[in-house]
Amino acid sequence: MKVSLFITCLSDAIYPRVGEAMVRLLAAHGVRLDFPPVQTCCGQPSYNSGYWDETRVAAKTILEAFDDSDFVVCPSGSCTYMIHHYPELFADEPVWLEKAKRLEAKAYEFTQFLVQVLGITDLGAHFPHKVTYHPSCHGSRLLGVKDEPMALLSQVKGLELVPLPFAEDCCGFGGTFAIKMSDISGAMVTEKVDHVKETQAEVLVGLDMACLMNIAGNLRYRNEPVRVMHLAELLYEGVRTG
Amino acid sequence: MSQPGVMDTTVKERAGLALNDDFLRKAVKFTTERLRNGKKSASEEHGNWDEWRERGRQIRLHTIAYLDYYLNEFVNNARANGVHIHFADTSVEAAAIALDIAAHKQASTVVKSKSMVSEEVHLNHVLESAGIEAIETDLGEYIIQLAGEAPSHIVIPAIHKNRYQIAELLSKEAGEILEPDTTVLAGFVRKKLREKFLEADIGMTGCNFAIAETGSMVLFENEGNARMVSTVPKTQITLMGMERIIPSWTDLEVMATLLPRSATGQKLTMYMSGITGPRRTADADGPDEMHIIIVDNGRSLQLGDPEFQELLNCIRCGACLNACPVYRHIGGHAYGGTYSGPIGAVLTPALNGNIDEWNDIAGASSLCGACYEACPVKIPLHDMLVYLRRRKVEDGHGNKMESMGMKGFAAVVSNSKRFSAAIRLGQIGQKAVVRNNGISLKLGPLKGWNNYRVAPSLAKKSFRQQWNKLDQELNQEQPAMNSSVRSRMEQIIREREEGEDKHGH
Amino acid sequence: MVTEHQQWLAQLEKKSMEKQEQFMNDIASKLRRPRQRHAPTQPFRGAPDFWTELEWDEEKRIQAFTDNFVSVGAHIARVQNMEEVSQFIANKSHELSAKYIIRQNEQALKDLGLEEQLPDVQISVWNNQADENWRARAAEADIGVVMADYATAYTGSVTVLSSPEKGRSVSLLPTVLIIIIPVDRLYTRLGETLNRFDEAGRENLPAGIHFISGPSRSSDIENDLTIGVHGPGIVYGLIMG
Repeated sequence: MKVSLFITCLSDAIYPRVGEAMVRLLAAHGVRLDFPPVQTCCGQPSYNSGYWDETRVAAKTILEAFDDSDFVVCPSGSCTYMIHHYPELFADEPVWLEKAKRLEAKAYEFTQFLVQVLGITDLGAHFPHKVTYHPSCHGSRLLGVKDEPMALLSQVKGLELVPLPFAEDCCGFGGTFAIKMSDISGAMVTEKVDHVKETQAEVLVGLDMACLMNIAGNLRYRNEPVRVMHLAELLYEGVRTG
Repeated sequence: MSQPGVMDTTVKERAGLALNDDFLRKAVKFTTERLRNGKKSASEEHGNWDEWRERGRQIRLHTIAYLDYYLNEFVNNARANGVHIHFADTSVEAAAIALDIAAHKQASTVVKSKSMVSEEVHLNHVLESAGIEAIETDLGEYIIQLAGEAPSHIVIPAIHKNRYQIAELLSKEAGEILEPDTTVLAGFVRKKLREKFLEADIGMTGCNFAIAETGSMVLFENEGNARMVSTVPKTQITLMGMERIIPSWTDLEVMATLLPRSATGQKLTMYMSGITGPRRTADADGPDEMHIIIVDNGRSLQLGDPEFQELLNCIRCGACLNACPVYRHIGGHAYGGTYSGPIGAVLTPALNGNIDEWNDIAGASSLCGACYEACPVKIPLHDMLVYLRRRKVEDGHGNKMESMGMKGFAAVVSNSKRFSAAIRLGQIGQKAVVRNNGISLKLGPLKGWNNYRVAPSLAKKSFRQQWNKLDQELNQEQPAMNSSVRSRMEQIIREREEGEDKHGH
Repeated sequence: MVTEHQQWLAQLEKKSMEKQEQFMNDIASKLRRPRQRHAPTQPFRGAPDFWTELEWDEEKRIQAFTDNFVSVGAHIARVQNMEEVSQFIANKSHELSAKYIIRQNEQALKDLGLEEQLPDVQISVWNNQADENWRARAAEADIGVVMADYATAYTGSVTVLSSPEKGRSVSLLPTVLIIIIPVDRLYTRLGETLNRFDEAGRENLPAGIHFISGPSRSSDIENDLTIGVHGPGIVYGLIMG
């Protein structure tokens, strides 16, 4: 059984602790993730901006990396969803198209993997803090990840979950959108952080480091002491200390 | 006013104006939230919303796929009812036909109910240039007409105006000071427009739906002005987008269920009118003469285009505007065209067939997909925005800096060695600018980001740099996989091989 | 004798019919197939199947209609028969100091005997004589009285059909609208009324089919709701039977 980690370029370069948390959590449940180093980036940045040739270059590293995996687990809904665009991208390249279709069927976002594949919602975590949750757009709307994170959070002992007002509103990242339309993006993340502050939560948790990086950046800019964590990090800390 | 073709200002500039207009932002936010909540309650109360959406989608897809049949049926049936049908390929033609009719009727006044198509073809301007008074009778449209502005929202056109501004505009019309009170202001408009309805030569309407099997047109409204302009004046002219067809009255039930709930959260608008031809000979009201101008203006360009044909499903409810976080912050005018919000961002370049000139309107989106989720007929606007961006690049009109950046990106991600090297380079290079694991520098590409944030620094060691150590450490302690978990996973693999796996989207 | 205007219309029609072929051919060619000349089978027609099973009993229909109608600012009264309707209208007329009433030219409304009940009120009967400006009569009316042809409980709507005896203006122009709703015309779903028009066929449809779900309204000014913008601001539904 080959279960592979799709680390995502963001977690790889900036948030390696997310990957580490995932690997350790799953190892404790007898699932050893391997890490095919051929992977680089899912290709979203170029795909979203309309540069599909460049996207194919990135996508091929992903297709190659996971060609013989049985399951692929990824700490990002948007990167996992990006894989669903691969058949369209390789419609004219039969060899890659075949790999793309196979990868689509075996790629899972982290909480999907835990809940749907392993059937686990209680990892024995203890995290006695006030937490609020931001559901990332691609993961929740397009990949359909809604119940899984709720199921996992509800099993964490001591955790007080405070609903985030207008949680489903986009945080304003959108990849290159944040650079190209920086003022609109800035307005959106400012509003998101206003809502986070309303909850008076100590911790903001989410499933996608792109969103969390964006929101954390504005929190820090405004000197707000809210801790921003990926759910894998929260669960791992909850298991380690609990 | 909206102008097809090259804009003198960019989306960014117009958005900047909007972002600095506090009243506008508050007004847009308040309005979209109200409408969004209304839709949410109404659709939840109704239940099975997704099934209804799928139904609506299927009916529209089918109608568009056979548009030559259904539109033809509509035309033949409408003619049999006594309606005069006209075809306009372009906006110029549409306005010209309307003007021709008005001139032949020697009209001096035209009263109009809400019609986005009439905005699209700049009808008022054409009529007024010919000395014909064209009066908008929808309260919001009347207000912005007095102000000389374009609508900023499909359903509530004047949300960018506050009551003081409105009182000022209406007081000028009234020739006396009117209090900035809704009842007073609306009361004045009712009285003033009542006179106009009764004396106008021509009534003009848009068309929400056209029923092919009986040649009937359907209007949804809350104020009563669409009924007024189609009942009182002796001549009626209706502008209709060629795609507004549904096969039957039975199908209208689906649209009547989806549209009002999606637009404003109502079960049904106060008035829904089905008009089948001009008045019957012995009727004592209704128009003597009725014209329907069927407008193409770029709609047929979407036919046969697998990426954009679904755009024609749109029922112009405005739900996407209310769901869009970008729209909420910048309002309608920033989009620069007749249609705003997510639908506008796609429609404007698609109808004009010129994404290149629409200065990055497709770029004003974070692709969050809220529009798709809100759309009662499931138009994948978020995908269409990416297709527009891709076409712009393919046509060679991509931004030069961005194209170079993307080539650089492709070079770095093309293989893991380059990728690792790039990360290492970054880890070294950033030392000069990192403070406390953050980068606040507002230079170059970081400027936009760091105007609102502190950027994160690259980790001291990337995940792949730490992997071997982590892997080896885990080799020491290794609980075996739970056997029931193993069988679950094996079962999933089996089902996948048999083609039954349905996880993900 | 054909007028110049009619000649011009005839010319336009000729042009239009030529353009029609062109238009439709263009659509078919963009869809990359020959013209579709006969009705395609609709894979899905009308509401989802589970919806057509929704049927409420009379009490529930009346309650739902009432709740919906009242929730948008209209008023409901429950009456047993036309005598009570007549009484209601007379009372309202006094209450509102109405000077002009207009009603549709239907036997049932004639039988209300409003003229006897309200001798000091000018009561017009739609189109009961030629050479009258009926739109103006409706516009000056304080109260318009109509009878619903159909009603829908699920949405709180009435449906009125136009005819030589039933003007569209009567339910639109007066300040107050009174609609008599015989309970045997009150159905559960919108589709039950809409389907009739498919069944009736094009030639049998009136010029105006109007669904009315409450008083005229707008929130165009700062999202502040105002009632009675162009259509009647005060609406009474009398559920009878």
